[in-house]
Formats: sequence, C-alpha cells, structure tokens
Amino acid sequence: MSGIIEVENLSFGYTSEATILRDMSFSITPGTFVAIAGPNGAGKSTLLNLICRALRPDSGTIRIDAAAIESYSTRALAAKVAVVRQELAPIFGFSVMETVLMAKTPYYDSMGFESRVDRETANEALEATDTAQFASRPLASLSSGERQRVFIARALAQNSLIMLLDEPTNFLDLKHQVGIYDLLKVAQVEKGKTIVAVTHDINLASQYCDEILLLGADSSYHIGKTKTVLIPEQIKGVFDVDVFVGRVGKEEFFIPLGKFAKNRGKTNKEAGNI
Amino acid sequence: MKQLLTLKRLIARIGLALVVLAAVMGVCSLIGTEEVSLKAVFAGPGTRTTVNPDYDIFIRFRLPRIILAGLVGAALACAGVVFQVILRNPLADPYILGISSGAGLGVIIAVISGLNWTLWGRSPIAVFAFAGALGTVWLVWFIGRLTGKFHVTGLLLAGVVVNAFFSALMMFLTSVTKSDQVYSTIFWLMGNITEGDFLVLWIGAGCVVGGIVALFYLGPQLNALSFGADDARSMGVNVARTRTIAFGIAAGITAVAVSLSGLIGFVGLVVPHGVRLIFGPDHRQLLPLSGVTGAAFLIVADTLARIIVAPAQLPVGVVTAIVGGPFFLILLIKYSRKVSWLT
Repeated sequence: MSGIIEVENLSFGYTSEATILRDMSFSITPGTFVAIAGPNGAGKSTLLNLICRALRPDSGTIRIDAAAIESYSTRALAAKVAVVRQELAPIFGFSVMETVLMAKTPYYDSMGFESRVDRETANEALEATDTAQFASRPLASLSSGERQRVFIARALAQNSLIMLLDEPTNFLDLKHQVGIYDLLKVAQVEKGKTIVAVTHDINLASQYCDEILLLGADSSYHIGKTKTVLIPEQIKGVFDVDVFVGRVGKEEFFIPLGKFAKNRGKTNKEAGNI
Repeated sequence: MKQLLTLKRLIARIGLALVVLAAVMGVCSLIGTEEVSLKAVFAGPGTRTTVNPDYDIFIRFRLPRIILAGLVGAALACAGVVFQVILRNPLADPYILGISSGAGLGVIIAVISGLNWTLWGRSPIAVFAFAGALGTVWLVWFIGRLTGKFHVTGLLLAGVVVNAFFSALMMFLTSVTKSDQVYSTIFWLMGNITEGDFLVLWIGAGCVVGGIVALFYLGPQLNALSFGADDARSMGVNVARTRTIAFGIAAGITAVAVSLSGLIGFVGLVVPHGVRLIFGPDHRQLLPLSGVTGAAFLIVADTLARIIVAPAQLPVGVVTAIVGGPFFLILLIKYSRKVSWLT
C-alpha cells in the first residue's frame, strides 16, 4: 500500500460498550479529495479526530505518510496534518492575520516571533482564500463563511500534506458552500494536497470529491470512487432514506424523499430519473 | 489599521511602559505622611551621629515598600493573564483555583499555633501562606486531572469545591480562636503591603521577574491555546507541556505574592483586561505590559492606602477594589464596542 493515510483494523468507542468504528481498514491515495459522509452519530468526526491524533484508537493502526501516527511529535504531525474544525471563535479578539500566522507557531524564532518568510506564507494563504481584505479585522467581526475561510487559510499556511476538515460548509449559504469547495479543489489541484472533509452534503461530495467514505450507523462502511459508492441502494442502506437521483450532464444529484414526497413509492426508473 | 507586532515595536512599548513605571515609582516614593525631599535624599546617609532623616525614610521605608508593591502587582497581573487563557475563561483571576483559601488556611494555622520563628525575616505567617497556596493549587490540579485529561470544567469545579472546603475550615478555626489572633488573620486576608527587608525583596523579585520572563517565552503557545487545546495541538503546539509550565509558574508567582502581601484582589482580574482592551490579546505583548501595568497600579493603590486616612493605613486590597472597579467599568464601556468576545 502506498496511501498517505493508511488505516488498518481500526476500532474505537467512547465507552467500552458502544463501539462506533469497528475493524476499519482503508487507504487514501496522496493528492485525492475524499469526503466522509454518513448519518449523525456514525463516527465521522470521531474518525477525523483519530486521524489527527486528538483521539487514540482502541485497537488498530493509523499510518500517516508511511509512519505510525504515534511516532510523530506534535510539531512533526502538524507538518503532515492540518485540521479545520467546526466553527469556533477564540475567547480573545485576535485579528485575522494574527490567527493565520499562528499556523507558524512551532517555527517562531527564539524570541517567539515569526520570520519574513512566515509572514509571506500567511499573506499567500490570505490571498488564496480571498480573505486578505480582512487581514487586520478581529476574527469575531466576520461572518461565519468568512471566518471559515480564515481557518482554511490558517490550515493552508501550515503547509501540511494533508488537510482535514469537519463539516466546512456547515451553516453556510449556497454560494459560500460552493466557494469553500472551490477553494479546497484548488488546494488539491495546485498544491497537491490530500483533502479529507466530513460532510453531510453528498451532492457537493459527488461534485468535488474523488472518493467517498460512507459510514453507516451500524459500524459498516463503504469506500471508493464517489460514482461507485453513491448509488441509491447504498444511500438507502446507510442513511435509511429513499433518494431521487437526477443527472445534469456528468453530474449526479441526490434528493432525499420524505414521507410526503409526491413521487414516493415509485422507483427511480418509474419516476423517470435514471 | 492594526499593525503587526514585531520584536522592535514590542521592545519600544515595554521600554516606554518601564519609563512610566519609573516615573510612578518616583512620584509615589515622595508622597507620604513625612515630607521627603529628593535633594536631601541625594545628600547621602549622613554620618553615624547625624543621620540624614530624608535618606533614612526613603531608603529604609519608602523604597522597599514601593518595590514590594510593584512586585506583587506584576505577579498578580501576569498570573491573571495566564489563568484566563489556560482556563479559557475571561472571569478567571489568580485566586480562582483556591490559592486564596489555601493561603488563608495556612495563615490561620500559623496564627493559632503561635509559632515564633522567622525565615529570612518573614514571620511564619508568610511561610505558611506560601505553603498553603502551593499545596492547594497542587491539590486542585491533581483533582482536576482525575476528572479527565485536562478538563477545564473539572479543574474549575475542583477549584470551587476546594475553595469552599478550605474557607469553611478557616471559618471554623476563626470561630474557635482568640479575638486578637483573629484580628491579625483578618488584617492579612484584606491584603497589606508592609515594609520588608531587602533580602526578602531580592528573593521575591528574582522569583517574580524570572517567572514573568519565562512566561513571555510561552507567549506564542498561549496565543494558540486561546483557540482551544485541540486546535493548538493541530498547529503543532505541545499543549500539555505549555499548560503545565505556564500553570506552575503562574501558581508559583501568585504564591510568592500572597506570602508577601496577603490577599490583594482585583489586580489579577482588572489589569489583564485593561491591557488586553487597549493593546490586544497577543500574549507576547500582553504579559510584559500587564506586568508593568500591574506594578504601577498597585504602587499607586498602596500610596493611596498610605495617605487617605494617614497617619493610619488602609488595607491596600480595599483600595484596589474601590479604585479598580470604576476604572474597569469605564474601560469596559469605552472599548466594549470594539471587542466582540465580551458580547
């Protein structure tokens, strides 16, 4: 295997009775954009926290860039893995530039200050995420979409091989959702980053991601090309909901069918979708 | 447009702050019940037979007291900064984890047992206060660790419980002791700056200044910690190490301050907030400027305590609360529109 993230026989539960992830094995190819999707409580964020070592597995191994995750120092791991967590603001009013510069904390000089190169890196990250115009504003004065972009900028400034994101488009409107995914795609294509994003939006995932990891509530999982994993039967099995599948050109779209949906009961074929 | 902090700017600002501090020290050392003229002080100590009274008062009483007030103020302000960021709680102050009640318990035990020795010129009260303060912090830290890896809520609750328990013990001991002993305990609890001898000052100064310098070097890590432990860790910061060192130093300099001057409230809460409101949250700047501001603040407060009801003296803790409260409110109203974490 030559994955940049290799997970082998991974099991984890917050208590000994309730195992969330059971005997999971997969490998992520360098430079791919991977989505992790699944119902609430399936362990998506948990898996993300295991891959960045915020949690320790009960059993099994995780290798990052060919080395066991436990073998890294905090600083060395940060050079491999950057994390964008769900929207959180610091308790004190740091500015956008200060926030992005913090990605360089382990590399500050002996007096605790950043170098000119660090500042250039931070500026590039601000430009890349279209947040340079807020540079001197306090973080808390931004909208959630803007703030999310700042945290992505901070992750970019970390210059890591891998970027993990936990629901990066949560609470964002359509334009900003697409904006964030565009940004991530550019980071993947131009910088060759491996991107792993937890998301509830399988439509965005099928549009942008190369692969998808579907986690089921019963510790089952499916991983593979988005096209092969995201099929109605699979979605029904994992999310326990019927979906409509529509197609525009090469893109496939999935719309959940509620109890009162007008075409409920018909198969996708009968409804004229596939 | 906010400028980015650079080492040059930081040094300039600290230098300016130190000049202001020196001016405050100079002015306050000349104010008091006895008139002291600077000219006379410079005339020197005088001869053995004719002691120069101005010099004597200045060197033996005013100066040590002002230095002591400055040390205690600097220690409490910096410890306040650290506790606020480590506990991620703007309401934290140096006493939040039970240092006050632990020190108080130590004091009342020292008073009751009627010990009569001195250590470096300090009474058993100071030594017991120091031991009580550090012992309590250790206990709270230990209990906090039992509740989880580093659960801020667990730590805070442990602090509240230990605080309540030790306060109860203190009240119990107070109610069974003689009234004159109780008086000296209460006097201590209110916080007092008194003239100490130079050896104690030097030791205290070494501890406090050394501690603040060490904390300064943790500044970038403390900045990252403002975003929470997980975020700091994924940025490559060794969170456990940073927390343990910062916590240990903050507790240590607080214990030194408490053993030198009793419980002086408000400095550790108000000064960090005031400095943060004006200069921003960057700990590389916040720590040194809070130290200098805390020193100046307590020197002024102690000068007021000396002169308001002269020739009697007020406990300085009373002055810090009376002066600090409204001062902080003005700051809060003036700047709160700019800072959003207050809302």
